[in-house]
Amino acid sequence: MLMPPFILHHPSSVEEACSIASELIERGEDFDWVSGGTDLLANYKWRINTKPNVISLSKIPGIDTVSDLEIGCMARLSNLEGSNVHPMIAEAAGKVASSLIRKSATLGGNLCLDTRCFWYNQSEDWRRSIEWCHKADCGTGADCRVIPNQNTLCVATYQGDIAPVLMVLGASVHLIGPNGERVIPLSEFYQLDGMKKNVLENGEFLLKVSLPEDSLSRVGSYQKLRVRDSWDFPEAGVAASWIEGDRSSIKVATTALESIPRIHTEEVSQIIEQGWDDEKSVKSLAGVIRKSVKPVNNTALPPNYRRSVVRVLIKRAFSQMK
Amino acid sequence: MSGGYRQQPNSARKDGKRVAGKQVFPPPGAGGSDPVMKERDLNFIPESVGGKEPQPAGSHIHDRIRTGTIVGKPLPLVDSNAKVTGQAWYGDDVRLANESIGKILRSPHHYAKIISIDTSKVEALPGVIAVATGADSPNSFGVLPVTKDEHAMAVEKVRHMGDLVACVSAIDEATAIEALGLFEIEWEILEPVFDPKKGLEDTDEPIHWRGKYHLAKTNVQKRVFQEFGDRSLVENPFSSSHGKWTMAGVHHGFTEPHAVVAHWDPNGRLQLYTPQQVPHYTHRALSTVLDVPMHQINVIRTFVGGGFGGKSDPFPHEMCAAILARKSGRPVRITFDREEVYWINRGRHPSNIEVKMSADKEGRISGFDIDALIDGGGFASFGHVTSYYNGVLATAPYELGSFHYTGARVWTNKPASGAMRGHGAVNTRCAVEVGLDEMAEQMNVDPIDLRLANLLPPHSRTITGFRITSNGMREALERVREGSDWDNKFRKLPLGKGIGIGCGFFISGSGLPIHWDPNRFPHATVHIQVDMDGGVTVHTGAADIGQGSTTAVAQVVSEVLALPIEMIHVRSHESDTSPVDLGSYSSRVTFMNANAAIRAALDIREKLLDAAWDILGYHPNTLIINDRRIYYKHDPAIGVSYLQALHKAQEDKGALISSGSYRSPPMGGVHKGAAAGLAPAYSFSAYVAEVDVDIELGLIKCTNVWAAHDCGKALNPLAVKGQIIGSCHMGLGQVLSEKMVYGRTGHLQNANLLEYKIPSIHEMPHVEPIIVESSDPEGPFGAKEAGEGPLLPILPAVVNAVYDAIGIRYNDLPLTPDIVFKGVEKKRKKLNLEEATDLPSPRFTHGPKSIELQKALVKRSEEHKKRDLARQKTEDTSPYVNGVLFGFDPNIPLEDQVEGWRMATEPDPEQLAELGLAGKAWLKKEQRHMGGEE
Repeated sequence: MLMPPFILHHPSSVEEACSIASELIERGEDFDWVSGGTDLLANYKWRINTKPNVISLSKIPGIDTVSDLEIGCMARLSNLEGSNVHPMIAEAAGKVASSLIRKSATLGGNLCLDTRCFWYNQSEDWRRSIEWCHKADCGTGADCRVIPNQNTLCVATYQGDIAPVLMVLGASVHLIGPNGERVIPLSEFYQLDGMKKNVLENGEFLLKVSLPEDSLSRVGSYQKLRVRDSWDFPEAGVAASWIEGDRSSIKVATTALESIPRIHTEEVSQIIEQGWDDEKSVKSLAGVIRKSVKPVNNTALPPNYRRSVVRVLIKRAFSQMK
Repeated sequence: MSGGYRQQPNSARKDGKRVAGKQVFPPPGAGGSDPVMKERDLNFIPESVGGKEPQPAGSHIHDRIRTGTIVGKPLPLVDSNAKVTGQAWYGDDVRLANESIGKILRSPHHYAKIISIDTSKVEALPGVIAVATGADSPNSFGVLPVTKDEHAMAVEKVRHMGDLVACVSAIDEATAIEALGLFEIEWEILEPVFDPKKGLEDTDEPIHWRGKYHLAKTNVQKRVFQEFGDRSLVENPFSSSHGKWTMAGVHHGFTEPHAVVAHWDPNGRLQLYTPQQVPHYTHRALSTVLDVPMHQINVIRTFVGGGFGGKSDPFPHEMCAAILARKSGRPVRITFDREEVYWINRGRHPSNIEVKMSADKEGRISGFDIDALIDGGGFASFGHVTSYYNGVLATAPYELGSFHYTGARVWTNKPASGAMRGHGAVNTRCAVEVGLDEMAEQMNVDPIDLRLANLLPPHSRTITGFRITSNGMREALERVREGSDWDNKFRKLPLGKGIGIGCGFFISGSGLPIHWDPNRFPHATVHIQVDMDGGVTVHTGAADIGQGSTTAVAQVVSEVLALPIEMIHVRSHESDTSPVDLGSYSSRVTFMNANAAIRAALDIREKLLDAAWDILGYHPNTLIINDRRIYYKHDPAIGVSYLQALHKAQEDKGALISSGSYRSPPMGGVHKGAAAGLAPAYSFSAYVAEVDVDIELGLIKCTNVWAAHDCGKALNPLAVKGQIIGSCHMGLGQVLSEKMVYGRTGHLQNANLLEYKIPSIHEMPHVEPIIVESSDPEGPFGAKEAGEGPLLPILPAVVNAVYDAIGIRYNDLPLTPDIVFKGVEKKRKKLNLEEATDLPSPRFTHGPKSIELQKALVKRSEEHKKRDLARQKTEDTSPYVNGVLFGFDPNIPLEDQVEGWRMATEPDPEQLAELGLAGKAWLKKEQRHMGGEE
């Protein structure tokens, strides 16, 4: 497969990266950020939404830090497995794709993972033969192929593993761009649209993730459903954590079930309000969350199955928290 | 006899300087790297000829030519160094000077007529070198002479998305890709057919048209009906099973995508480099398509990065490369993207299979009905054969009261299905073995005992007339039973853990060479040439596709001539130098090529022994040929070195040349389709699989496999074990996760290796390969195939193990977690249980009757074991045909003994109403019987 041509920019500092971005914006040229390249470049080879410019973050020093309260965007996933990060992060990072890919892939890239759909992650010839789709319409204004005739929303699925874990640890993300830096909770980072995906503005990139002090006392588990124990994206994923003994601290997040990973704050507080009764409450919580997620038919396994197993995954996540 | 010898003794100068033309040859015994002769390895010389190698299955005709050199010893494949150092040259590694890059324009439509193609803009693009369309290749081709339905590029219409429309060559890939966008094509879209069931119905525009042989206006390419045996036995069965299966299409998933380089040399001959399993068919097809005599084409088989049947058709892109190269006068290289590999497909047919079985109160298999509707996709490929294999290869190793088969292959607007490891036998085998288990469950007997009491013996005939020679089925079953500790596990494991059995039966070389009468031309020919350096060059057309055919051929020559393996050089890449070989399919290569190689080597051996006789004065019968030395058997000091004997034999004629060939004996019945499934030998296998089922999520993990395969004689145990383990991996893929997914629009949705889920190393169970050696009388040193047969049993073993684990029988492959989950939920609701983990585990529920039957089965199998051993060792040479178990006399034709004994290849009119899904094809008439058009 031939990589389509693009201009690769190699800034050596965050400031330079931002100025390249603002220059390109000024000139009206499209661009993508690239870190490990395991997601973006594979899509480029399929000619999916390619841009004439790509800005690489790989030559910027100091943005690959790994510590228990801060992880840089360029931290390789292989460096997150079993090192001095929260064990839940290590667990989730270790479950991403394959060991080869984890050598390249980065935390920033994983959080900003493009959403996936089997009408979209296909070659150019293939997509041409279905007359394109909403997410990569090649200027045709094509309809969504998963749920036709709704035409406003892309329902491609977010299939990252680490986001739900960081969410239940209460992580925040630092976004930086020509207009400066801002910090927001990760749970507010994603936007329910398979095309827009997240709140990053043009020219902004995810610089680092920071974790609150109390994340260190959190225990929990990440449950990933996949067909094979290597390579595969999650077909459903559940992360849950709490500060041991403190019911009000329970957090649950899901991934691979919708266009975004989602923290289920409302569902959890609804059940806690009813008075927590271990197994019974976990069961009702699982039921409520199962109802609240709406997977669609665009990954390897059918949506009704993916939805059904949320119940089991939640049960298992909680059983490991005791 | 020391210090070397000279061409002319006493002619060397005393001062030690060399005299022109009178050089000293290397010292005797040289030739290998080791200057010292190795002792005879008696552990690898059979008992029957005075060695110590045990022969439980009796002696073999090749015993007397065993030298203990290499047969039976584990040997890394001779081409493995080239592969592990990255020096093996695969299709895309061929780089010729001045090459151009070819790209193929593929159909964006499932089914459409091409009204017009305008190539003017393509031709005008700077950098484009040549353009070709269907108009450049009007001649059709196909792997089987009876179904030549392919063109290099679509001539009139495209038949599936990804079908070839046109091709272009350019100075580089980017230009070629750009050029593809400049074709202007006018289409007339036709109504596509995706569902094979719809393919049975009449349509306005059948995908192909076969003239007077076309079946009404349907899309049926081939229909088969076979009925053998006494159908009255099926009435009032004691036990029965009925399985309706849906099996997804699977792809070979080989590592190397297709690639081809074509070049017309300065003399106007085509040199075509391609990773082919069957270079000879490509050779023939090229000749037809290009209108060039075969001797003006040299097909060069590169190293093949995996084939598994997926590189055994002559391919349209090979034709395209040749056409573009001819037009431009420049070499053209075409390499596929993975997606294109899926478009050309030729994987296992998506199948709808129905199996009905019945047993009588003695636990004999009285009825065996199979109906197989297989989805052929857009082209015939090997489908004609597949249509038969789905039925006939499922009968053995069992003795049956009756067999009834209806099969149909239909064209649909999908990439063409074809031959894949275990060709045609895999899907029905799975359904049949699961059916047997279901009957065992009903009768409350052990499924292994049920099988052991119903096996055909060695040297017998199956119900459809296949000649069984060696048969290690019984030993295979016994050894996996013991190895897996079956008796302590089956129906005794806790919920979620299960153990299951499955058997296999496969051809060891198709008995019919597709292109000619086996009585006129041999199946395989091998040439050997030994020049003065002592090295042995073996020319064979056998295509090594990673299965180790080069190693097998080198090994047998090494064994016969008692030479170290590094002295044997196999040349098999070019059709210019290789004798014609039918290629690597139907597991024929070791059986046929090694047999031919033995014959060629024997010729050289005889010449060497005669020369030694001349020198030593001892008759060859009293000489022993051992590692680079021939000596008198009663006094090893009297002998000559290999080189001395060789040079003596070469006097007056130079290099020794010999040729050996193999052809199968005449066999089989005379009914229509009798040749399908005929083979000079058959392999047998039995696997036990253990699984863990995550009952809440529906995830199946296969943890252990005990895999016994009867390969006759393991020429190279390392290679056999590799084949067994590899087969397990491939079969597990089909049973657990692999499928070609066609979505609601008929598009193949997972034409890539991320979404087409081949098991990873994490999914691999521990596999315990168990080699069973039944010593086939006609196999080379007793060997039979080990490349395809080992795949068959893993599917039913896993499905049966899943039943043992959770008590649910699944009939949909692959058993993806959603399918398993659905089955669990259904059962949970039916039993009104709160949690899936409350499901009951299946257990034996013995009653007095079943205990009695179980005892009777064990007794029968013990008797049969004695019978089988006597037959295997040919102590008992009485005739045995399928039906003896039911009390018939094998000396009289069965139809003369039993009134109802049938042998039919067409249904009776009164049967028509009861035929299964595929059988419905028999409700239609061929055009010639309809008074229809030509």
